[in-house]
Amino acid sequence: MKDSTQNKITINIGPVHPSTHGVLRFIVDISEDTIVKVDPEIGYVHRGVEKMAEMKNYNSFMPVADKLDYIAALNWEVLYADVIEKALNVSITPRTVYIRTIMCEIQRIMSHLLFLAHVGEDLGNTTLFMWGFRERELLMDVVEEVSGGRLAPMYMSIGGVYYDLTLSFGRRLLEVLDTIEHKVKNEYKAISYQNDAFRLRTVGVGVMSKEFGISHGLTGPNIRASGVKRDLRKDSPYLAYDKVDFEVITENDGDAYARFMVRINEILESIKILRQAIKEIPSGETKVKVPWFFKIPPKYTFVRHETPRGEAAMYLVTNGDLKPYRLKIRAPSFYAIQAIKDLLVGNKVADLVTILGSLDPVPGEIDR
Amino acid sequence: METVERLKSEFSSSLTSLPSTNANETLLLLSENEALKKLVKSISTEFDILFTLLVVDRPPEAFELNYVFSRYRDSALLTIRVNLNHDKPVIDSIAKILPSAEWEEREAYDLFGIKFRGHPDLRRILLQDDWPGRPLRKDFVVTDEIRNWTGLDLKF
Repeated sequence: MKDSTQNKITINIGPVHPSTHGVLRFIVDISEDTIVKVDPEIGYVHRGVEKMAEMKNYNSFMPVADKLDYIAALNWEVLYADVIEKALNVSITPRTVYIRTIMCEIQRIMSHLLFLAHVGEDLGNTTLFMWGFRERELLMDVVEEVSGGRLAPMYMSIGGVYYDLTLSFGRRLLEVLDTIEHKVKNEYKAISYQNDAFRLRTVGVGVMSKEFGISHGLTGPNIRASGVKRDLRKDSPYLAYDKVDFEVITENDGDAYARFMVRINEILESIKILRQAIKEIPSGETKVKVPWFFKIPPKYTFVRHETPRGEAAMYLVTNGDLKPYRLKIRAPSFYAIQAIKDLLVGNKVADLVTILGSLDPVPGEIDR
Repeated sequence: METVERLKSEFSSSLTSLPSTNANETLLLLSENEALKKLVKSISTEFDILFTLLVVDRPPEAFELNYVFSRYRDSALLTIRVNLNHDKPVIDSIAKILPSAEWEEREAYDLFGIKFRGHPDLRRILLQDDWPGRPLRKDFVVTDEIRNWTGLDLKF
C-alpha cells in the first residue's frame, strides 16, 4: 500500500472551464488519480447583491433579484416579490397566484432541461446538450410572449405581475408541454438514462448518503436523490401548490444517476402541475396597487421557496425606511458547493466533472 | 414545541422568548454568548440544519447574529438570536457541530469581520484577501474608488 500523502500533485481547475458551469475554481490535490483534498474557490461573480439591496428602494431591487440565478430568474423574482408583500401585508389576487405558479413551473422545467443539457455536455454526449437547449427554447418563446424577456424576464412586480397572460398563452403552452413530454419520455430515454454509455459514467458515481446530505444542509433535488422526501411545495405550500396534485420525486441511491433521474421525473411532474393550473386559472385582476416608493415598518420577514436548485430564502430586516435595512439571501447552490469539498474526496479525478455537474450549481446565486 | 420547553428549563436564566412575525418560527434570545455551543449541541438532534445565518449590523451597540435552524421533518424554524459587542465581535464557531455552518461563518467573517473561535478554516470567501474593509458594515461607504476596484495596479 502506498502512502496517500506521497506523490501528491496539486492541480487547478477553472476559474474559466467549460464544465464548471460558470466561473468557479477548484484547487484539487490528487494522489495518482484519486482526489485527496478539494478547495473550492468562489466569489468570481460576486456583485455585492446584499449591499446593493441596502442602497436601493424596494422596487428598484427587482432587476437585481432577477439576475441572482440567471437560469431560474422567475423563481427568484417570485421569492423577492413574496417577501416584500409579506412585509407590507399585501395579499395578491387569485389570478396572480396562479400566474406565478405557472411561471415558477415553466422556469423549473427550463432549468432542469438546461441541467440535462449540461450533464450531457460534461459526459461528451453532445446530442443531449443540443436537445436540452432545443426544448428549452420552446418554453423561452412562451415566456417571451407574455413578458417580453427571455433569460431575465422582469415579469413580477410587487403586488402582482406586469402583464396579464396573452389570449393564446394557454393553448400554446399546452402544445409545447405535449412536445416536451413526448421527447423526455422517448428520445431522452434512449440517449441518456437507458443508454449504457451514460449509465456507466453516472451509476455509483459521487454517492451521497442521506446523513451526509442532511448534515451539509443540501436541499431540493440533490437531497431528494438521497431518499429524503422533502419538498417545500408540499411541506409548507405557498402560491397554488396546495390546490394542485403532484408527487414528490425521490430516489434512493444518492449517486449522480439518481440526481439525474430526479430531475427528469420532476420535469414530468411540473408538466402535470402546469396542465392543472392552466385548467383552473381564475379570471380577474392581476395587480394590487402598491405605490412605487413605500416604507415598511421595523420588522423581520422570512420567506422560503422551492427553487429548481433547492430551498432558497430571503430574510428581510426593515427599519421604517424606503430601503431594506438588511436583506440576507440563502442560496441553495452555496450549500451544494460547500458539500462538494467533502463529497469529492476519494473519487477519481475523471468523475469530478460528473459529480459537480450532477449537483447543478449556479455561480450567480452562490456568489451573490 | 417540546424542544423549546426543554431548552428553557436547561438554559433558564439566559434564554428568553421573543415574539416572531413569521409563521412557524420560534425566536429565542440568548444573552450568554458562551452558552451557544452547548445550546447548538443540545438542539442539533432535533433541528438538523443551520438554514441560514443572518447578521445585522446595529451600530454602535451590537452585531446581531440570527442562527436560523430548520429541520427536514417539517417546516418548523428555530431562530437563536445573539448580540455581539460591536468593538470586539467574537463568538464560538459551531462549524464542528453542524458542517452546514462552515461557509456561513466564513461569509460573516468576510463581509462583517466577525471572528469565530475554533473555526477550522477562517478565511475570506467571497472577496479577495486584500479587499479593503468589511462591505456589509453600515459604516462602509461605496465610493467610486470601491466601484472601480480591481485589486491590480492598473492605470487607465
